[in-house]
Amino acid sequence: MTQDVRDLLHAAAGLYRDDPRASALLHDCLNRLEQPLRVAFTGAPSSGKTTLAAALGEYPTRALRDLVLLDDPGPADDVPDATVRLVRHLEPDELAAAHPPAGSAFARQSAVNSVLVLSRADEVGAGRIDALLTAKQLARRAWREDPLCTGFLGVIAVAGQLAYGGRSLRDDEFDLLAAFAAVPREELERHVLSVDSFTDPAFPGPIPVETRRSLVVRFGMFGVRLALTLIRTGCDDRVKLSAELVRRSGLGELRDTLAGCFVARAEALRARTAIIRLEALLAAHPRPGGDRLVSRVERFAAAAHDFRELRLIADIRGGRTALSGEPAEEAVRLLGAQGTTPADRLALEPDADPDEIYDAGLDALRRWRHEAERPDRPHAERAAAHVVVRSTEGLLSLFA
Amino acid sequence: MTAPAWLEVLNETLDACRTHGRADLAERLRRRRDAPTGQIRLGVLGFPKQGKGYLLNAVLNAPVCAVGDAATPAVPTEIAYAPEPAATLVGRSRERIPVAVERLTGELGARPAGTLSRVEVGVPRELLSAGLVLVDTPPVGDPRSPRTAAALDLLAEADAVILVSDATAPLSAAELALARHVRTWCPHVVLALTKIDACPGWRAVAERDRAMLGEAGVDAPVLPVSAVVRQAAAKAGDAELNARSGFPELLGWIAEQAARPPEQSRALLAAVGVRAAAAELVESLRDRVDAVAQDAGLGQAALLQRAQRRADDLRRQNTRWQNLLSDEITDLLSDAEYDLRERTRKIVNTIDRTFDEGDPAKVWDEFAPWLDNALAEAVDVNYTWLADRAEWIAQAVAACFGAQYDRALPDLRLDGSGLEYLDDVGRPKIEKFKIGQQAFTGLRGSYGGVLMFGLVTSLAGLPLINPISIGAGAAFAAKTIKDEGGMRLQRRQAVAKQAAQRHVDDVFLRFSKECRDAIRVVQRRLRDHFTGLAEELADELTHERETILAGTAERERRTGHIRREIDRLAALHQRAGELGTIAGRQQRRELSA
Repeated sequence: MTQDVRDLLHAAAGLYRDDPRASALLHDCLNRLEQPLRVAFTGAPSSGKTTLAAALGEYPTRALRDLVLLDDPGPADDVPDATVRLVRHLEPDELAAAHPPAGSAFARQSAVNSVLVLSRADEVGAGRIDALLTAKQLARRAWREDPLCTGFLGVIAVAGQLAYGGRSLRDDEFDLLAAFAAVPREELERHVLSVDSFTDPAFPGPIPVETRRSLVVRFGMFGVRLALTLIRTGCDDRVKLSAELVRRSGLGELRDTLAGCFVARAEALRARTAIIRLEALLAAHPRPGGDRLVSRVERFAAAAHDFRELRLIADIRGGRTALSGEPAEEAVRLLGAQGTTPADRLALEPDADPDEIYDAGLDALRRWRHEAERPDRPHAERAAAHVVVRSTEGLLSLFA
Repeated sequence: MTAPAWLEVLNETLDACRTHGRADLAERLRRRRDAPTGQIRLGVLGFPKQGKGYLLNAVLNAPVCAVGDAATPAVPTEIAYAPEPAATLVGRSRERIPVAVERLTGELGARPAGTLSRVEVGVPRELLSAGLVLVDTPPVGDPRSPRTAAALDLLAEADAVILVSDATAPLSAAELALARHVRTWCPHVVLALTKIDACPGWRAVAERDRAMLGEAGVDAPVLPVSAVVRQAAAKAGDAELNARSGFPELLGWIAEQAARPPEQSRALLAAVGVRAAAAELVESLRDRVDAVAQDAGLGQAALLQRAQRRADDLRRQNTRWQNLLSDEITDLLSDAEYDLRERTRKIVNTIDRTFDEGDPAKVWDEFAPWLDNALAEAVDVNYTWLADRAEWIAQAVAACFGAQYDRALPDLRLDGSGLEYLDDVGRPKIEKFKIGQQAFTGLRGSYGGVLMFGLVTSLAGLPLINPISIGAGAAFAAKTIKDEGGMRLQRRQAVAKQAAQRHVDDVFLRFSKECRDAIRVVQRRLRDHFTGLAEELADELTHERETILAGTAERERRTGHIRREIDRLAALHQRAGELGTIAGRQQRRELSA
């Protein structure tokens, strides 16, 4: 795929040889094909972009090592390959504003490069202790039911502050929290009711106000309360507490989505960015002879299977298809949601025997071909099965 | 008792709103005027998820409003005093459906959107017993959404408004705009800063909000509150904790609103409403004046210029068509005469040839019909040709008017076919050489011959009358008869020629006169027709210019009218301001046209 795009860009560079600005743009497109994927964090002011980008980015994991995270890039400075959009509430106005502007037909049809994040999830429901669960339910419901959430690869509730705090939890902070947790609950309750009560000089014990303040600033009142509850219920060392805070924050789900939908598809997403920029150039500065290039771009766009896979993954996961349960899981796996190598797609060990992989692939192909050709199924279902068949054929073709 | 001053000003402004097509403003003022006395309505407004429901529940110490992730109703909820808790759904057509308070949220969710107009809830609370009504509104959002409209509808009747914004972030631009709008319509506004329990930086946010409101000219206190703390305090019966929730201040403010003397309050609300409506109306009127001015500036100049261009065109057109017509008619006159002359010349030639050789006495009967026919044909052809030329000229002149010529050409059919001017040729007097005349002529010739040859032969002794002289006499007689016959023929021929030519000349003269007359008629008809047309066009143009100029006058009159209206509204605005001052409040800005 990258080679096709490279050829297209070279052909375009020939066409625009005498235009320095166009040449620079095409050159940049070519360079970007080799560079890490750029993921932009966008959203309204104080929606938690920086915190979330920091929580994801300052602690690189293997899964996300090939990403460049851009904190709210301006519209012109950098063209991101993928976007994490943050909204504070799943309200119609905010969701409508979160929709990316429509571009060319290809840009729309391949617009499978955004994840919607319900940020500051710990503030949902007035910071009750079940805030994160409620937020997760809200996000899932919105993804399944709200037409404004169609097209996103995921709608994920994340408490950025909690995630960041959890990841960067220090020993002294854990010790402090553990000391507070040791105070009888009834006695502590009124002191963790609000920020003011927590930082009140009347707070029992010798901990200075400033230390308490920094704790509540780092974790938020919800985070402090959650940490105390967690320590009381068994997270009795820093590592355990840290892991549990991060797990509950929803960061893991976001990271998995980014890894599965962005990192694994980096090549396709980079190619997409290059093609969209090339399309824009061809449309804005038409040249004689550009028609052939335009039709080559169209052919490329029509043949790009990755975007169909991503869209179908989003549809299946968002509950917008008839698939559910075991078949749905198999379908998203075959489509590459958990990794795009043949072994990943077929749920085999990474060092599986090629014969084994081939047989498993053949088996999956047979079953999904049957699904794709069942006349008693609605067209949409058969079309979805066709995409899975095409993915399976693709993985088998590697063994030909 | 005379009507209070505020009522007069309000009614006048209301009329102005209605006159200028702002039924919405008129309706708001009307509701302000007819607001029930003995009730203090306190509205709660805010963007979604700011904690409105929690705030109201905390104010009432009762779970009245839907909170959390439950969908907020799209209609206002009015919470008033009732000895027993009760809830009523009020439908679009005022039907009332009582429901249990605890089932209210479920009942609301089950009803399709748009079937309800409001919800009424009664709770046994001391706070409300003096006639205070708390109105929970749908969240404000997209300015075009019906939910927002339903929320802002509150401003028509609210005596005071609690704006709700949470402490997680300072006021957004939209929230600030909402605050400004609310303050324009309602004099008593407070900003409740919610969720201060969860936000470490709430003091900074409160300061920022105070500063922003101050800069925007909204004099509203900012009261930080925490529903969570209030709830905990209520549960624990802890007065100190309750004080920390910020609610005592808020309740104090609410009590202040409820305690205001009603008549003064009404006057102030009316004054504020009048000022808000007048300001909005003046703004829309100013927009209209601007639009009219722009319209006039651009349109009128262009229209006049176009009219001027058309007048110039018309002048050029007039010269062109008049010249063309006179040239063409002159040409036609000479061409027609030449054509006729040419045709008659050919006829005359034929006449000459005929009578140079032929004997009129023998050929006349054949000749006369031919001549009549030839002349008729010549006249007919000439006349047809004339009609064609006249038609052509009319078209050529009409073409001078271009696209403006949108009517039928004048009727140019010539009367008759020209043939009625023809008489048949009259037969001239042709004398024939009759037998008696021939005998006499023969005798006269023979007499000379007999005598001459008789005298010569008498010298030879012959008698005077002898065979020779008789023979000579006979010869002479024959020759004389022959000579005499020839002379008579020539004379006849000359007479016939003359007669025929005279007839032809006669016809020519008369017909060419007719032709000239016909052409003149054509000329006159065309001239009248096109002069009429040109005059009509000129009239049209004059009329158009008059319309344009009159339009300007009309526009100026209208603009003047609007300006006077603005002045009138500005005066109302000022009077309302004075009323406001009397009612105990300082008004700042004044409007001017």
